[in-house]
Amino acid sequence: MNETVSVISDDEYRKVERFIYKEARFADESRYDEWENLLEDDMIYWIPRGEGDFLPDRDVSILNDNRSRLATRINQLKTGTRHSQEPRSPMRKIISNLMIDRISENEYLAHVNFALFEMQVQSLDEMNIWAGRMEYKLRESEDDLKMFFKKVVLINGDHPVPTIAFII
Amino acid sequence: MNYTTNDISAISNPAADISGLIKDNGIHSSLYTDPNIFALEMDKIFQECWVFVGHLSEVPKRGDYIRRHIGCEPVLMFRTGDATATVLTNRCTHRGNLLCQEEKGRRRAITCQYHGWVFNLDGDLVDRPFSGGYCDKGGELDLRKAKVAIYRGFVFATFAKNPVSLEDHLGNGRHALDRASNLSPEGELDLFGGWTKHIFNSNWKMLVENNTDGYHVNHVHDSFARGIQVQYKYENVLKSEEDKLEAFVRDMGDGHAEIEYGQTYSKPLFWFGVESDRFPDYVSSMEAAYGKDEANDILTKGPPHTYIFPNLFIAEVSMVVIQPISAGKSINWNTPLYLKGAPDAVNRRMLRQGEAALGPSAFLLADDAVIGDRQWRALHGSPGWLDLSRGESRETVAADGTITSHYSDETPNRGFWRHYRTLFS
Repeated sequence: MNETVSVISDDEYRKVERFIYKEARFADESRYDEWENLLEDDMIYWIPRGEGDFLPDRDVSILNDNRSRLATRINQLKTGTRHSQEPRSPMRKIISNLMIDRISENEYLAHVNFALFEMQVQSLDEMNIWAGRMEYKLRESEDDLKMFFKKVVLINGDHPVPTIAFII
Repeated sequence: MNYTTNDISAISNPAADISGLIKDNGIHSSLYTDPNIFALEMDKIFQECWVFVGHLSEVPKRGDYIRRHIGCEPVLMFRTGDATATVLTNRCTHRGNLLCQEEKGRRRAITCQYHGWVFNLDGDLVDRPFSGGYCDKGGELDLRKAKVAIYRGFVFATFAKNPVSLEDHLGNGRHALDRASNLSPEGELDLFGGWTKHIFNSNWKMLVENNTDGYHVNHVHDSFARGIQVQYKYENVLKSEEDKLEAFVRDMGDGHAEIEYGQTYSKPLFWFGVESDRFPDYVSSMEAAYGKDEANDILTKGPPHTYIFPNLFIAEVSMVVIQPISAGKSINWNTPLYLKGAPDAVNRRMLRQGEAALGPSAFLLADDAVIGDRQWRALHGSPGWLDLSRGESRETVAADGTITSHYSDETPNRGFWRHYRTLFS
């Protein structure tokens, strides 16, 4: 990478940070349309089985959606009969340890840690705690950033996990 | 009868009591919720029957092992030769330490990390540090070894002293293992995709029964039908009119059951959501391996949707293992049905379709899981009899003894419980 373009300015840092907080809020509040508006057409949304050398085209993932499959996922969530998210889980995600790399002139790679508290209200009335890290790839698009990649690495992804029907 | 204590001895005559909980067309809910019955199942079913442990392709080289469970018993499956494997209890015979904690790996021998006892891959005790302190006890301190039998790479094991042959256990279910393996031009599965492990807060038998229940599909999976553009493989089963469904259910005997979709596909690879010209290399390698007619038949009929008693389910594009944890908790394991010798693009499609259907975030299984959770909670708080009579009067018995009926009929459930009852009598 060219050193002269690799530095992230404070303004850029704030912009990426604002985007990530906004994205987390839409996901936590199951605001599907607003969340979907943050996506680029080449979006990949991926939950591999945790850390490790998992390859998306070789190793089975917990979730691996391209843009069209993600549209199906959101359509399904909006039908009202996606039982695993009816009623929707109240959730709050804490995000920290933001680090940003530049991919190109107008693209960023952001890394965060997260802890997500999910009230599983569909069958158990119990709280699930999810923890891990996320990678976002973001692109300058018209006036704001858009997301074209989101990878969620759960610390327990390769172990038995409960249903994850919400947008994490 | 008192089914609330955790003491198994509270059931004075368990076999008789369990038989009383199963009628021809209904069962009592305590079969799902009672921890005493769960404990008896671990003994009578998971210790005494042939249980699926893993596939040889998961341990390709000598010394490769995977950690699995037979019921609740932790085991290790080791590759020991070209077509052989051992299944050993993952517990040191000295002081009971778990011998291997890693999910998979490779060993030349198994050394316990507590006191350094060493076992070979056949489970024989071969060395003990400071051996001067011991009098020889012969083979008494070898690891607990399961009997192993392998069919087309599927490794089954049992702790029964005098088990029936694997062939007898599989019965008609053997055809499903053939049907899956024959989708490969080399006649073998190659399960290198790893497994997702999805927690169900319900009884393992609920997962079993749901797998061959056609009746729930229009209701539990309504959101999927409406969320995607329905096409190809889902076209037939997501129809809401009873008389238009062509798929049917089959009780194969011995507890095995399936949903037969074969005749709903009019062309080769329709089950895969494509036509033959999408994967010409695959089709030609299949024709070279099986001849044109048989290849056409295999590729039209597609993969099985078949449950093999007690813990294996071939879910068309995926393979599923059902692991019981407790009366109210189970793990659904899922790996793509990778075909040895098939083009990467075919296996990649297998992977993507499997991820859509199965796993913690899947379009289908996420909803099955929550319905199972609800069912278990309702039954736990409100025990009683459950009805399994659907389709009783419209079944057809074939010459081979298998029973077929309408896609939505509870024939597979009745077959499961009929076999289950024999194990406790």
